[in-house]
Amino acid sequence: MKPVAFDHVAPVDLAAALDLLAERGTRAAPLAGGQSLVPLLNLRRVRPDVVVDLNHVVGLAGVRVTAGEVRIGAMTRLRVLESHPDVVAALPVLATAASAVAHPHVRTRATLGGSLCHANPAAELPAAAVALDARLVLRHRGGARVVPAAEFFTGPHTTVLAPGELLTEVVVPRVPELRFGFAELARPGGSGYPLVVALLGVAVEGGVVVAARAAAGGVAPTPVRLPGVEAALPGRRCTADDLSAGLATAPVDHAAGHRDAVLRSLLRRITAGLE
Amino acid sequence: MTTRVHIGLPVPPRNHPALLRGRGRFVDDLPFPGARHVAVLRSPVAHGRVTAFDATAARADPRCLLVLGPADVAELTDPIPLAWLLPDQRLDHVELAVDVVRYAGQPIGLVVATDRAAAEDVAELVDVRVEPLPAVASTAAALAPGAPRLHAEAEGNVVGRTHFGTPRDRLDEAFAEAHLVVEREFGIQRVSHSPLEPRGLVAEWEPGPGLLTVHASTQSPHAVRQELAAVLRLRADRVRVVARDVGGSFGGKVALHADEALVCLAAVVLGGQVKWVEDRVENLTAAYQGRGQRTRARLAVAADGRFLALHADVVGDLGAFAVQAGSGPLQVTALTIEGPYRFPAAGGTVTAVCTNLVPVGAYRGYGMQESTFIRERLVDEAARELGVDPVALRLRNMVEPGDMPYTTCTGLVYDSGDYSAALRSAARRVAPPSSAGPVRRGSAVTATVEMSGFAPSALIRQFDIAWAGWEGVRLVVNHDGTVTVHAGVTAVGQGIETSLAQIAADGLGVPLRWVDVRLGDTATAPHSDLASQASRALVLAGGALLRAAARLRARVLGLAARALDVPEADVVLDVPADVEPGSPEAVFRGASGVISWRELAHRAWRGWHRPEGVERIRLEENVDFDPPAITFAHGAHGAAVAVDVDTGVVTVEDYWTVHDNGVLVNPLVAEGQVVGGVAQGIGLALFEEVRHDPDTAEPLSTTFREYPLPAARDVPRVDVRHLCTPSPANPGGFKGLGEGGAIPPAATIACAVAAAVPEIAEVLTATPMTPERVWAALREAGIEGSPQWTER
Repeated sequence: MKPVAFDHVAPVDLAAALDLLAERGTRAAPLAGGQSLVPLLNLRRVRPDVVVDLNHVVGLAGVRVTAGEVRIGAMTRLRVLESHPDVVAALPVLATAASAVAHPHVRTRATLGGSLCHANPAAELPAAAVALDARLVLRHRGGARVVPAAEFFTGPHTTVLAPGELLTEVVVPRVPELRFGFAELARPGGSGYPLVVALLGVAVEGGVVVAARAAAGGVAPTPVRLPGVEAALPGRRCTADDLSAGLATAPVDHAAGHRDAVLRSLLRRITAGLE
Repeated sequence: MTTRVHIGLPVPPRNHPALLRGRGRFVDDLPFPGARHVAVLRSPVAHGRVTAFDATAARADPRCLLVLGPADVAELTDPIPLAWLLPDQRLDHVELAVDVVRYAGQPIGLVVATDRAAAEDVAELVDVRVEPLPAVASTAAALAPGAPRLHAEAEGNVVGRTHFGTPRDRLDEAFAEAHLVVEREFGIQRVSHSPLEPRGLVAEWEPGPGLLTVHASTQSPHAVRQELAAVLRLRADRVRVVARDVGGSFGGKVALHADEALVCLAAVVLGGQVKWVEDRVENLTAAYQGRGQRTRARLAVAADGRFLALHADVVGDLGAFAVQAGSGPLQVTALTIEGPYRFPAAGGTVTAVCTNLVPVGAYRGYGMQESTFIRERLVDEAARELGVDPVALRLRNMVEPGDMPYTTCTGLVYDSGDYSAALRSAARRVAPPSSAGPVRRGSAVTATVEMSGFAPSALIRQFDIAWAGWEGVRLVVNHDGTVTVHAGVTAVGQGIETSLAQIAADGLGVPLRWVDVRLGDTATAPHSDLASQASRALVLAGGALLRAAARLRARVLGLAARALDVPEADVVLDVPADVEPGSPEAVFRGASGVISWRELAHRAWRGWHRPEGVERIRLEENVDFDPPAITFAHGAHGAAVAVDVDTGVVTVEDYWTVHDNGVLVNPLVAEGQVVGGVAQGIGLALFEEVRHDPDTAEPLSTTFREYPLPAARDVPRVDVRHLCTPSPANPGGFKGLGEGGAIPPAATIACAVAAAVPEIAEVLTATPMTPERVWAALREAGIEGSPQWTER
C-alpha cells in the first residue's frame, strides 16, 4: 500500500513550521517520529496535501530541568527520555513509562509529542502526562496556550489541538514528595500495544500515606485520573498489604470488567514496589 | 548401501548467509525495472451483486495502462478447476469473472499503472457499484434456517459432507454402552499464514513466441503453471513458473489465487512485464486463510480406562467458496482423529459450509492440529473425570510397536515408531510446576501422530484427488565434475536445499560443496504437483535422490573401471574431504593407476568408456519415487504454563518436544522446523485470530496491530529431542517434520492451563485463549482473583 501523493516540507525553524501549519490548516500533517503517521499515510487513512516534517526544526528536542519542573521538547525521542540522567533523577516514572513503549527500534524514532498527539487511550505517555499533571504548550502562528494534560485528550485519537496548532513542549512539575510506580499489561504477541497502563504515586510521612496520585490508560476513551483510588489511600500505612487493602475499598471510576480487573492487578503490583 | 558422512550432521543451511546479508531474491527484489504495477480492485462488502463497473475516469488518467473488469475477465479466462472435492460437492471451480461477490476483499478486477502508488490512485477512480446482499459471518449463521443462500450449488450453504471410519450407527451403539462419555464442543479459529514475504509475482508475456514466464512467491510452481495454463487458455509448454527465494508459505502458497491469475492475464493483454506484490492488508484480508471449524466430539471410556469409541462431528468453514485445499484439512481432521491410541470404534464426520468470509485452504498442520486439539483435550478431560493420571490413561491406550503396521478405524496404516516411548520421554522431562500469589502454574503432555510423505499415487487416486503424489529428481554429474540436483520440491525457508545436498553427497560419495541444488523453476525442475507441502519434500525427494545417486554412482564406477581397464569391484573412489571437484587428488584408483573424478566426468560426457551397445551417455539420472505408503511420524509435547488469575494472561514458561522423524538428515534444519512450528502453535493457542464483524462479515484484523504474531517474549526456550525409528516406506528411512512442531502446541498448552486451573478445564475447548476469554472463564467459575484484593 502506498500513500496518496503529498508535498514534503522540512522547515528548520519553528516560525516557518507554524506558518505552514497556519496556511494549510487541516490539509497539513506534522511529522514527528513517524511511528503512527507513516503507517496511516500508507494505509491512505490520512491524506494530507503537505507533510510538515519537524525533524529538522531547531529547538524542539531536549530536556531542561529546573528546581520546580522538567521541560521536555516535543521532538525528544523516547530513547532519550528513558535514558536521560536528568529525567531519570527528577522524574524516574516518566523514564520508566517511556521505556515501556513498543520496542527499542520504535523508541529510537518515536517522540514524546508524537505519542501525546496520537492520543491512543491505552498508551503509556498520555497516562503518564495525566498522572504527573503535565502542562502542554501548544503554539500557533502568533501565539501559544498552555493546556493541562487532563484537558488535552478528548477521546480515542482526538485532542484539543486546533488546525494550525503544534505541541512544542511538555512541562512536567517536579513532585519529589510523591513516589511513583508504573505498570502495564501489553497485549500478548508482537504488536506490543498496551491493553492497560497504570501509574500510582504516594506521599508518605512517618510511614503513613498523606497523599496519592493515580492514573490509568486503557480503561476509558482517554487516559484518566482515578479519584477513587486517590481518596482511598491516604491514612494507610505504606506497606504492600495495607495499600492493597486500601485499593480494595476504592470505588471503580470507570466500566467494570476485564480491563478493570487488569487495572486493579497492576495497581496492586505497583504497591508492592512502593513499600 | 549409502555411507552416511553428511546425513545426520547439523550442517548450517546454505542459503542463510545470503538471506542474513540482505541478498535474498524475493519477488520484490527481482530486477525488473521496466515492470508495470498492479493494484487489485476488491469487493468492499462481504456479499453483493456487482451492478456497475465503470472505468472511464480511470482510463483518462495518463498513468493508467490497463483496467480489467468482470466482463474482460469473463471473455479472456476460464475458471480455476479444483483438484479435490467432497463426494457430493458441486462447487468444482474458482470463479475469476465475478458478478456476485462473496467476501470482502474478493478480487473483481485490476488496474495496471506506471507504479504502485499510481495504480492505487487510479484504482480509486474505477466506479464499482455493488448492491449489498445479506452476509453470513459464521457456519452457525450459514446453517441457520432462512440463512441467505450463497451458491446455487450449495443447498443450505452445505458444500459437501463425508464420513470416515466406523459407521455412525455403530459409533452410537459404542457410546450407549460406555462407562464414561466425555462430550465437548470445540472451536478452532481462523488464522492467517502471515508469511514474512507476502504473495507476489512478476509476469512477463513475450508476444512473439507466445511465452508466459511468471516469477512467483509460491511453494508449488508446477501446480501454478498448470492452473495458469488452464485459466489463460495457454498450452502447457508456453507457461513457465519460477520461484526463487520464498519467504515462508505455511500452506498459503500451494495454489493459484484468483488475483494472481488476473495479474498474469494483465501481462498477456499488455505484453511485457507486470508486477504485483501483495501488501500486508491484502494478505490479512484477501489471501486464503487457515483452520476455522466448530466440532462436537465425544470420547467413550470403559471403567478400567480403555478407550471404547471416539467421534468428531466436524463443521468446517470453507469461506466464500471452495478452493484447492478447501475441505482437505477438514477431511484430514476426521481421518486423523484417533492419533496414537487404539480404538475399537472411531470416526469423523465432515460438513463443509460456505460463509461470506475469506476462503480457507491449507495451513501448516492441515487438519491434524485440529484433530490433536480435539482428541487430547477429550483425553485429558476423561482423565480428570475418572480421577486418573492423564499420562497413565494415554499409555494405557497407546498403539505399541508390536501392533505395527496398525490400521486405524479410518483406514490409515501406521508404519513404525514407539509412541509410548515418546510420551514417557516428554513426561519425564516436564518439571513439576509451583504456584505463587495470583499466578497458578500447571503442566501437561500430549501425544500425536503426523501423516507425512503424502502420498502413493494409488491412494491419491482412491481419494479421487487430481494430483500427482510422487516426486522426481534429476541428479547430474556435470562435465567439470560438479554435481547438480534438480528436484520438484521447493525451498520455502525450511532448509530443504541443504538436506538434499547432504543426501546427494553421501549417495555419490563426494564432498558436500560439490553439490548444488536447483529448485523452483518449472523449466528445469521435475514435475511436482504437491512440491513442498504435507511434510513430504524430504521424504519423497530424498527417497528419489538416494536411488538416483546409487544408480549414478554405479554408472560412474563402471566408467572408471573401463577407463582404468580393471574389474569394477577393484575400483575405489578416493576423495579427500576438502578438495574441489577438479582436484587431481579426487581420483578413482585401480591396480593399473588412477583417473581423476573430473577427467572421468569429462570423458563420460564425450561418450567414452561406455560399454559396447549402451546408448546412454548423459551423466544424469532421472528417478521418480512413488512411495509404497504414507509414513507416519509421531511425537509428544510438554508445556508448563503460568495463568495469572487476576488478568487471565497465560504465559508459556517451558516447552519440551520429542519427535520420531525417522532418520534425521540435518538436525539443525529439524530443530528449526520444530521450534518455528511451536512458535506458530503458541500464537494459535493464545492470541492469533482472524476476526470479522459478526453482522457484516467484513474484516476486523487488517494489520498486525489487530493480528499479533508471536514475539520473542511469547516463546520460551524449546527443548527439542528426537527418537529414531527409520521409516520402512522409503529408501532413506525418512519421516516428515514440516508440520510436527505446529500440531500439538494448542492442545498441550490448553491441557497445561487446565492442570493449572482445573476449575475452568471443562470450558478450555476453544482457541485462542486470550486474556479476556480466560479471565471470563475464571470469573464464571467463581475464581475472583487475588485473595489480597478481595479479603480485606
